[in-house]
Amino acid sequence: MPLLKIDSLEIEVEKGTTVLQAAMVNGIEIPYYCYHPALEIVGSCRMCLVEVEGMPKLQVSCNTFVGEAPPERKIEGKYDMVVNTHNDLVIQERKNVLEFLLLNHPLDCPVCDQAGECYLQDYSFKFGNAHSRFDEDKRVRPNEYLGSQIVINHNRCILCSRCIRFTREISGTSELFVEARGNKSKIAALEDKPLDNLLAGNVADICPVGALLSTDYIHKNRIWNLKKQPSVCQDCSVGCNVDVFYQKDKILRLTPRENHDVNGYFMCDIGRYGFHRFEDLDRITTPMARSNGSFSAVSWDEAIRKTADKLGDEGAKIAGIVSPFHTNETNFMLGQIINGPTGTLPQMNDEEIIYQSGFRISNDRSPNRRGMSDVCPALLEDLVSEIDNQDVRMIYVLDDGIDREIDDVWKKILAKMDFVVVQTYAMTTLAQSANIILPGPAPYEREGTITNDGGRVQWLRPSLPMKGESRADWEILMMVMKALDKDAQDFTDIGQVMKDMGEKFPAYDGLSFFRLGPHGMSLNGRANG
Amino acid sequence: MATIIKSYEPTFWDKIYIPALVKGLMVTLRHFFKRKITIQYPDEKHIPPEGYRGLHRLNKYPNDRIKCVACEMCSAACPVDCIHIVPGPSPWEGDKERYPVRFDIDLLRCIFCGFCEMACPEEAIELTEIYDFSNYTRESLLIDKEGLLEVYELTKDRNFYSRVKSKESQS
Repeated sequence: MPLLKIDSLEIEVEKGTTVLQAAMVNGIEIPYYCYHPALEIVGSCRMCLVEVEGMPKLQVSCNTFVGEAPPERKIEGKYDMVVNTHNDLVIQERKNVLEFLLLNHPLDCPVCDQAGECYLQDYSFKFGNAHSRFDEDKRVRPNEYLGSQIVINHNRCILCSRCIRFTREISGTSELFVEARGNKSKIAALEDKPLDNLLAGNVADICPVGALLSTDYIHKNRIWNLKKQPSVCQDCSVGCNVDVFYQKDKILRLTPRENHDVNGYFMCDIGRYGFHRFEDLDRITTPMARSNGSFSAVSWDEAIRKTADKLGDEGAKIAGIVSPFHTNETNFMLGQIINGPTGTLPQMNDEEIIYQSGFRISNDRSPNRRGMSDVCPALLEDLVSEIDNQDVRMIYVLDDGIDREIDDVWKKILAKMDFVVVQTYAMTTLAQSANIILPGPAPYEREGTITNDGGRVQWLRPSLPMKGESRADWEILMMVMKALDKDAQDFTDIGQVMKDMGEKFPAYDGLSFFRLGPHGMSLNGRANG
Repeated sequence: MATIIKSYEPTFWDKIYIPALVKGLMVTLRHFFKRKITIQYPDEKHIPPEGYRGLHRLNKYPNDRIKCVACEMCSAACPVDCIHIVPGPSPWEGDKERYPVRFDIDLLRCIFCGFCEMACPEEAIELTEIYDFSNYTRESLLIDKEGLLEVYELTKDRNFYSRVKSKESQS
């Protein structure tokens, strides 16, 4: 393997690694704008210039590959390549490059939404000059819409072409291109084909400056006010890793989090803007009981007592409706309570989309169908006839909060029921027909594990606080369980539920949040008993 | 080991107190003939010097556009987190693209350090000479954008107290 020397560090690298990659892996900082690990290398920003000994000029480190030199040409007898990243020449060159990049940049950081996570800001501060020698007028252009969700501020653009390469290589839709040449060049979308694909939101993320902006987040907040929580997207069964940016009890935006086993570097717009549907919901924040056709708020003790009174009847059969929107732990707990048939609500199906790069949006728009069927193996397709057969009169529903029409099948089921318990967070049509409503957390308030369709268990972390009196799903189910059976196991936190689940379902054995970590763990190769 | 320091031993003259009394009265007498500093507050208002850090204001451009662009530098610089801003796209066409939809200052929290006006890149927030804005309820000491713009109207010539005084003398 070639021996590379960067500054004073000797590194042995694979043949064909770029100098930039080798430096990044070994903790040497080389600034860059146009390089992105998922995209093709163009070397257009010139920010990553380094000095390579034996080469006449400075080289772009993102496009300089390390190769093996013949023995007689090795430097100092052993190095295949010697790179300087911090000598005076390179430092001066960085200053010059930044001065060029900032020629037409408006320096409107106070109103720019990228400020705080802007590479131009960071590198100017770290490597740049305090002053520019350019005293002509700056080039000023109006903002333009590239698509319905993406605005471009041409003044801020440094033409790194990350967005163009993204549409060509990842989404494969090629809407963007550089229009005109030289000083007049700018990023533009094809006239008849605006940037409206379902991955368009990613260009705002990968833009190293504040040129590409998502209309959803523009002028909403400043980045340093937001808290970041790593979580998992809950809008399809792929389970993209996301970072949730929130302030107090409001989510401001989602951005993709790198996970090469799931989503790579990107996420789709369905998930990106999906959190909005939980914002203006008719939230249920207290337990409610129905008496004479109307709901009234009751205390937790009373709600649980009423539930247990009914469900605890001698010889009563209880049907359970588990949900692919809930965590494994919640579904598992419900499976422990019920003694009748188990079913689930109708699947929300949509089109499956696979992009050129392999990025997939699943047709199943629920995050945890795989996990649900893992921990509730006796799931029935035809719930109605089984309910008829066993003469079930009670049902416990984990509602997913989606306000769907009640179809004929469900009308039949509900007509048969004497007692309906719905655990939900929103007043859906289904919840309207309940006898007892137990308020649980909404997505992004939940904690637990979910299993994506590829069999990867991921840690779903809560970002927002729970509303009102609502309690965690597993806690509600545990209270019901304790009320039904005094000797039931007492869980004090979700980790114990997980442990118990592992004992019953060996595929989930030995799971803990610590083991799952930020990137989850694959179930493949583990037998489910 | 504690060190014992010999304290001052009072002499006979110190013990009868009369010289000290006379000395003190001399100071009083000297001030009796000097220029009076005491003012008849609240009938007469003290006019603070330039640079006094009192109640905040939000400045406006001559065309009535608020100078603030809701960059939240002031709230970031604020050591007590008393500034709360909700930004939004500006309704003025062809102007700076951002403005504060809400701009609230909790005057009870504020320590009047002036960091906000130092941090402001647009010279939008300023501390004025107004110092007498005490009130009976906590709610009335939360000042919003309209209130801050009102303070600007009151103080834009930087003569809040002198104007009040001249008005009174006219009536």
